[in-house]
Amino acid sequence: MKDSNEMRVLPSTPVERLRLHIVFAVFFAGFLYIGGGLAYRQLVQSGDLKEQSNSQSQRVVLRPPARGRIYDRNGFALVDSRARWSVKADLAALQKEFRAEYLRLVAAEKAREVGKIDRERLMEVARLRVLQGWLNKVWFVIDETNRNDKLRRPTAKIVPVTAPGERHVSEEDLRKHLLERRALPFTLVSDLAFPGASQAQSPEEGSKSVARFIEQFPVEGPIRLESDNIRTYPFGALASHVLGYVKDTDQLPENVNDISDVRIETLQKLHYTGKTGAAGVELTYNHVLSGFTGWELWTKTSLGYNQTRLKHSEPAQGSHVFLSLDYRIQAATEAALAKIKDSQSKLLPAAAVMLDVHTGEILALASQPTFDPNRLADRVSKAYYMEVEKSGAWLNRATQGLYAPGSTFKVVTAIAGMRKKVVDWDDVLECGAFYRVGNRDFPEHEPVGYGDVNVDKMLAISCNVWNYQVGLRTGIDALSAEARRFGLDRPLLNTVSDVESGGQPMTELPFAASRGLVVPDREYKLRIKAGPWNDGDTANLSIGQGYLLTTPLHMASFAASLARGETRTTPSIIHDVRRDGRHQGAEPIGLSKAQLDAIHGGMVRCVEEGTARIARIPGLPYAGKTGTTEYFQKGEKAHLAWMIGFAPADNPVVAFAVLVEGQLDTSTWGGKTAGPVAKEMLEAWAATAGSKYLVTPKPKDEPGR
Amino acid sequence: MTAGWAWLILALATYPWLIGADLASDVFASSSLTIFISGVCLIAPSRRLRRWQSVLFAACLGFLFEARRPVPDGIVALALVAAAIFLSSNRPLLRNTPGMLRAAAVVNILACLCWYLGAAFVAPVAAVEPASQVTLQLLVAGLAGVIILLPIALTQNAVMDRLGVPPAPETP
Amino acid sequence: MDQNRQGARASYIALAIFVALWVLMPSAVRRLNREAFAEFQAPALHLLGKSRDMATFWEKKSRSTEEMAAAGRDLARINAALEIKLNAMDDVRRENIRLREITRYVVPAEYMSVVARVATRDSSSWWQRIVIRKGRNDGIRPGAPVVFGNNVVGRVTAVHLTTSEVDLVTSPGFRCTAYLEGDDQNRIALVNGVASNSLGTAKARVSVIPHDYTPPAGQPARVFTTGMGGVFPSRLLLGYLDGGTYSTQVGNFKESLLIPSRDLYNLQEVSVLVPLHPNPGEALMQGDQFQ
Repeated sequence: MKDSNEMRVLPSTPVERLRLHIVFAVFFAGFLYIGGGLAYRQLVQSGDLKEQSNSQSQRVVLRPPARGRIYDRNGFALVDSRARWSVKADLAALQKEFRAEYLRLVAAEKAREVGKIDRERLMEVARLRVLQGWLNKVWFVIDETNRNDKLRRPTAKIVPVTAPGERHVSEEDLRKHLLERRALPFTLVSDLAFPGASQAQSPEEGSKSVARFIEQFPVEGPIRLESDNIRTYPFGALASHVLGYVKDTDQLPENVNDISDVRIETLQKLHYTGKTGAAGVELTYNHVLSGFTGWELWTKTSLGYNQTRLKHSEPAQGSHVFLSLDYRIQAATEAALAKIKDSQSKLLPAAAVMLDVHTGEILALASQPTFDPNRLADRVSKAYYMEVEKSGAWLNRATQGLYAPGSTFKVVTAIAGMRKKVVDWDDVLECGAFYRVGNRDFPEHEPVGYGDVNVDKMLAISCNVWNYQVGLRTGIDALSAEARRFGLDRPLLNTVSDVESGGQPMTELPFAASRGLVVPDREYKLRIKAGPWNDGDTANLSIGQGYLLTTPLHMASFAASLARGETRTTPSIIHDVRRDGRHQGAEPIGLSKAQLDAIHGGMVRCVEEGTARIARIPGLPYAGKTGTTEYFQKGEKAHLAWMIGFAPADNPVVAFAVLVEGQLDTSTWGGKTAGPVAKEMLEAWAATAGSKYLVTPKPKDEPGR
Repeated sequence: MTAGWAWLILALATYPWLIGADLASDVFASSSLTIFISGVCLIAPSRRLRRWQSVLFAACLGFLFEARRPVPDGIVALALVAAAIFLSSNRPLLRNTPGMLRAAAVVNILACLCWYLGAAFVAPVAAVEPASQVTLQLLVAGLAGVIILLPIALTQNAVMDRLGVPPAPETP
Repeated sequence: MDQNRQGARASYIALAIFVALWVLMPSAVRRLNREAFAEFQAPALHLLGKSRDMATFWEKKSRSTEEMAAAGRDLARINAALEIKLNAMDDVRRENIRLREITRYVVPAEYMSVVARVATRDSSSWWQRIVIRKGRNDGIRPGAPVVFGNNVVGRVTAVHLTTSEVDLVTSPGFRCTAYLEGDDQNRIALVNGVASNSLGTAKARVSVIPHDYTPPAGQPARVFTTGMGGVFPSRLLLGYLDGGTYSTQVGNFKESLLIPSRDLYNLQEVSVLVPLHPNPGEALMQGDQFQ
């Protein structure tokens, strides 16, 4: 009975057996599928899956490094970093308070019986209220006026929330923060030294705010003190056009410290705010200054707050950059420029450059008006941006401003004439009150004319008629060729894109300078459809007027080249002791010693007794040439004042160029306006170089050479 | 003196030992180790006092300890009370000297652990303290428990004898 | 036995109920409880301090006459030197007052000095504090700086009727600003206490030291209070930088250990500088929102 029963369970017929096999096969296939799937997940996909789970539970926080400092040639820090103290609220630690406030709000709503309660909104309000309460406490402590007994117990009402800026927790900021960077603590006060974005404090007051918070605010609790670095420009607006400024960037940095073992791209999208150079050396040398970004790998809670730090790497500060500027000369230059004002004592736009004659290193480069990069380093207020915009201070007039060089160009005309052998150093030309070219009289600036004039005298008194004659004899082709030989048509400065594409910078300033440089010739005039070239144009060019456009930096380089008796000087803003004084494309000037001496001598006379005598420095004979150009400003005539030169006269060390844009209502003259600036620059230089270049005037000494 | 106030008198009699332990901690201050004996003080009274009395005694010890230390209110006191309830309900464990020594070490270590956990809770800045420090501290607590038990028990027994507290039964 | 079991269970339940009640109890009750136990211990602590003083007294009393004579002589010399200094100080003080009157300078913070003996020290591993034998009765308020001579000892954290607790410089709850000797730009550094390692002495940390700061050569740099924060008067000595042995770069700043200016484990007497006008931080400390 038992046996037969068992027998009946087992399949007996072939059909039944077949069915059983099929069932087995189906089950086997099913198990195989499941087992295979598991094995695939476990063995093949495990890496990816792990990454996936990591990406859901881990997060990388990038920590921006301090940028390198920028020094002048003597090691004064022109750009530095200062500690910035900020107050942050740890949102994870505030969860309980948020919850309590939320429940209180819900209870209040329920009591009011308004019907449907918008819980989401109440949570937002609760967060905002709690944070505002803490912010009030922070203000309560840092506000020095709060120190007396009347304010005994802090409540949310203690600080009258009237001041703008960071006295309010911005609802929008908080929402954005929770959305984008919940992991990080929420910033209550971004800069304790300057709390309230719009309020400016003195450094002393700033330190007090910081100290009051540190010493009086409770150490424990959800409010944290953090310190980081912020760019600071200790000399304010000094050399701001050279130094540039920094701006926020949310681009992920390229230089991240050994992050290879953490695959960032698989982790949650990063939100990052770093600093990057926006102008000047800060921009060109951004790759050097910016350093290596550090990072922290955190696990996060299900709510998205940071939990524990798994790994980290400290940020590394960027390298320092040594500029060729000498801050003493720079400061003197800017101070001298700041003295130039129009009749309504408004600053006139101006620029000044001083170079080392041998190396081409820029000792001072100033442009007026300026801006204060400190006010651009963190949050830029729109008002300040507009103020700078309106004053036209973004423009670096020394490298980007295009001007007709005026009488300073007469040196080029003289060189061209002597090289073409149409005039020699001792030739005397008869110069009357005007010179007739075609049917037009080209005037002298001296109503009665100068009579007999040689090169030497021409440069001293800036005789126009001499130049008309020599220019016409030389001809436009030779004249513009000469200007080109001195590189007046070639950009001295590389554009940013040049540097970024790996081009070797000639000079390291990143301004798209001199894009509009013009050394006119026949072709140029045809190209701008102004008709064929005529002698009048040549006469104009010979005194540096007309179509000719150049920059103060070009004129300073020209003066440096002239001082060395060469044609080109590559200016440089970086201090490098290994410079050998060779300049790209430089060749000897091509004049005899007597000819060159005549030009140098004429320029010395210009300072000693000529148009620049107002800028004479007793004991320091130097060469100079002034220029005054007419230009049109808003359709009306105004004057540009120029002065170029080099010093000392017999052993040139520095070369300079000064330019001032005159206004309509001021009489601006080369010697009178630009001369004093040159004088102060040279005096500052002489002071820094010690007295070794100063000549003690002896009674027997002849003025000049 | 009624035996009803025995717990208070006993607490007062035990207090000098606690102060002594503080002074000893003072001596070792530079090593940053603390002599913790509050747990040990429970052993002898738990053998003889009635349960409610030993509970009050434990609470007293705990609050005395907490009063001068930044820990969440009640954490050490309530831990000691729990220990007192347990000990006075399981007197056979304290029947002989080895049992008492064992109980002293265990109770002292546990109470000390409570203290450290509570302290870490109150002072988040210090929560990063390495585990080794805690381990060392617990070790010291256990050692102190074993060493200090006999003199403390002798004192406490003497006091209880004077107060007329009935002696502990030698066998259950 | 069974009855005992039941009794035990009832006790545990009672304990659990009490714990629940305890948690729900207003913090004021708990604080009151704590205060009560603290005050209960105060006489013992006083006695302890007094007996320690007594011991020193007898120790002094047992010195020989020759020793006393020598000490008296030394003291006379020191007194003479101090007398001269005092006179000079008097002149300076008068000059100071005169200048303040001229410039109508508002004195930033004024302090009332309360001298207190140290009762006990509790310098276990996680916090560093001492108990002093002066309290609310003597006008001491929380947050007041505690000094010894020109050296900072710490800050008052809790005040009882006749005793107060002082967080030492090495306590993790201590935080203040500092100037470093040799930093002519007077940039603010941060000083806070750190927990010590096993068997190690507690230390304080000086952080946010500017990158380009170099301590004066040949001696450990002194660390001073800034007097900017409204708590500590300026130019008190916090300690010395242990820069030679432990100086690391943290982020963009340097960090170093601080060696406290006084041996904090051997203090007998300190002075509490109670500000005449309470500062806002004090009001925050008294608020019960910092649990």
